[in-house]
Amino acid sequence: METSLTPRSLGQPGFISDVRAFYAILRREWTIFRRYPSWIIALLIWPLIFPMMYILTGRALSGIDGSGLAVFTKLTGATDFIGYIVIGTTVWMWQNIVLWDVGFALRNEQMRGTLESNWLSPTWRFSYLLGHTGPQLISMTMFILITAIEFGLIFSVKLNGSAWLALLVMLVSIPAIYGLGFAFASIVITAKEAHTFVFLVRGLVMIFCGITFPVSLLPGWMQSIANWLPQTYMIRAMRSAAFANASFTELLPDLKALLLFGAFWLTLGYLLFTWMERRARQTGAIGQY
Amino acid sequence: METQLLSRPSLATQLYAIYVIARKDWKVFWRYPLNAVSHVFQPIIWVTPVYFMGQAFSTNGQALGFAQYSGTGDYMSFILLGTALSNFILTVFWGMGFALKEDMDAGVLESNWLTPVSRIHILVGRTLTSLLTTTIMSLIMLLIAGWMFGFHPTGNALLAFLTAIPMLIGLYGFGFAFAGVVLLMREANTLVDVSSFLVQGLSGANFPVRSLPYWLIPVSLMLPLTYGFDAVRGILLKTNTLLPIYVEVILLIVFMFVMLWFGAWIFNRVERKVRVLGTLGQH
Repeated sequence: METSLTPRSLGQPGFISDVRAFYAILRREWTIFRRYPSWIIALLIWPLIFPMMYILTGRALSGIDGSGLAVFTKLTGATDFIGYIVIGTTVWMWQNIVLWDVGFALRNEQMRGTLESNWLSPTWRFSYLLGHTGPQLISMTMFILITAIEFGLIFSVKLNGSAWLALLVMLVSIPAIYGLGFAFASIVITAKEAHTFVFLVRGLVMIFCGITFPVSLLPGWMQSIANWLPQTYMIRAMRSAAFANASFTELLPDLKALLLFGAFWLTLGYLLFTWMERRARQTGAIGQY
Repeated sequence: METQLLSRPSLATQLYAIYVIARKDWKVFWRYPLNAVSHVFQPIIWVTPVYFMGQAFSTNGQALGFAQYSGTGDYMSFILLGTALSNFILTVFWGMGFALKEDMDAGVLESNWLTPVSRIHILVGRTLTSLLTTTIMSLIMLLIAGWMFGFHPTGNALLAFLTAIPMLIGLYGFGFAFAGVVLLMREANTLVDVSSFLVQGLSGANFPVRSLPYWLIPVSLMLPLTYGFDAVRGILLKTNTLLPIYVEVILLIVFMFVMLWFGAWIFNRVERKVRVLGTLGQH
């Protein structure tokens, strides 16, 4: 009996081969991630010291008799100002790390000189970006867990709400945060020098999204800008879920907004990527740096 | 006519070499104008959340709680002055610390090392431009941030400037030692990032150190920069100081001499070590 084998290789792209390519990229990123363990130190230190500087400023603003804190509590309704600040600064750090990691994924390949050769393989090219997201999500989960443990143990920050709802807010925020990272990666590969762009985007989050204060304190025009940034909704929803005992129904408007932002940024990220890919092939800019 | 070359080192040639290095850095700095813009606006971006946070703690624009620690309710003047001074800390850690590393990465360190110029003078040359550009950027930052958030100095600006000088020279002396350590470690981003952030924070760039938890206050008091921030604010903003201002100035002058000696000593030792190891060209 004659049997014929139809090899399903990467040379004949199909869904299975794309999944295999994605897995290969994911595994490669995971291997690189484990090869440089110095990130462990950063993972332990930054969740503590970055919010600490704002917390210590808040402590000074509170005054010896706590009169400043009473004003803050009355305005924000926050019973725990440390928890209030930790949530804002953690969201900022999350977006900041995604901009550096996912945003620079293709740029780093370009600098290493491997982007062109990877581009020549018959693979779905968007999987290069998706592959970077896997280890990044794992390290960010660890980052957030370490933040919660450190502030729970050292500063006795306790939840006054539902951890599950706070987790839900984080899950719903993933498409918006990473969609922005994908869009950013495509811009970076075209604009090359991107540090200034990172400073700009993370600066917008820092100024407008209320990482250490309620957005209602901003002038009207600044609040209008804040309403167009998903991090504003994420910070507000997480604070409500974790410290104001908000119910699912109360969180629903913010969750819907985050899903809409997620759909928008993922679509824009994908469209920018395909535009960049086409442009790079036409201009031959993919190997330039 | 007799020509005086660098190959026959004299005081004049060494001074000329310092001038050439400073001029080269000056040119490089202004070749990247976006970088200069970033130097001005980054600190403003970082203090904006503090401004609004302060508003959330204030009554009628006055941070009365803050005044209990610092002696002034004008928290933004306090913080902006701290931010302007901490720009120098960041420049020393990132600029001076990585000055030689950048030469190493660019592949010019070994050839520079072969010139008959004292290696300490190479660092001094780089310090001059760094001091000048950071001063210019910090003044522009103060002008813009002062217009946005309000900056109300009431004291003697010249006296405050003179007080800051020994602190800055001492800081750059420390930068010599730090440049040596980076030269030895080669990959020191996390070290630089974390240590600059901590030194800046614990010296009281953004808050009076009196407000720190009791277990952190000794750490803060051990940092000479704490007295620099405190004295400059005491003179310019009339805030409560930790010690009488003249004592803080004496401490800063002692710090300056100790750090210049210590920085040069560490740098010379490390420099000898990397020459023995032969790692000067590796990165």
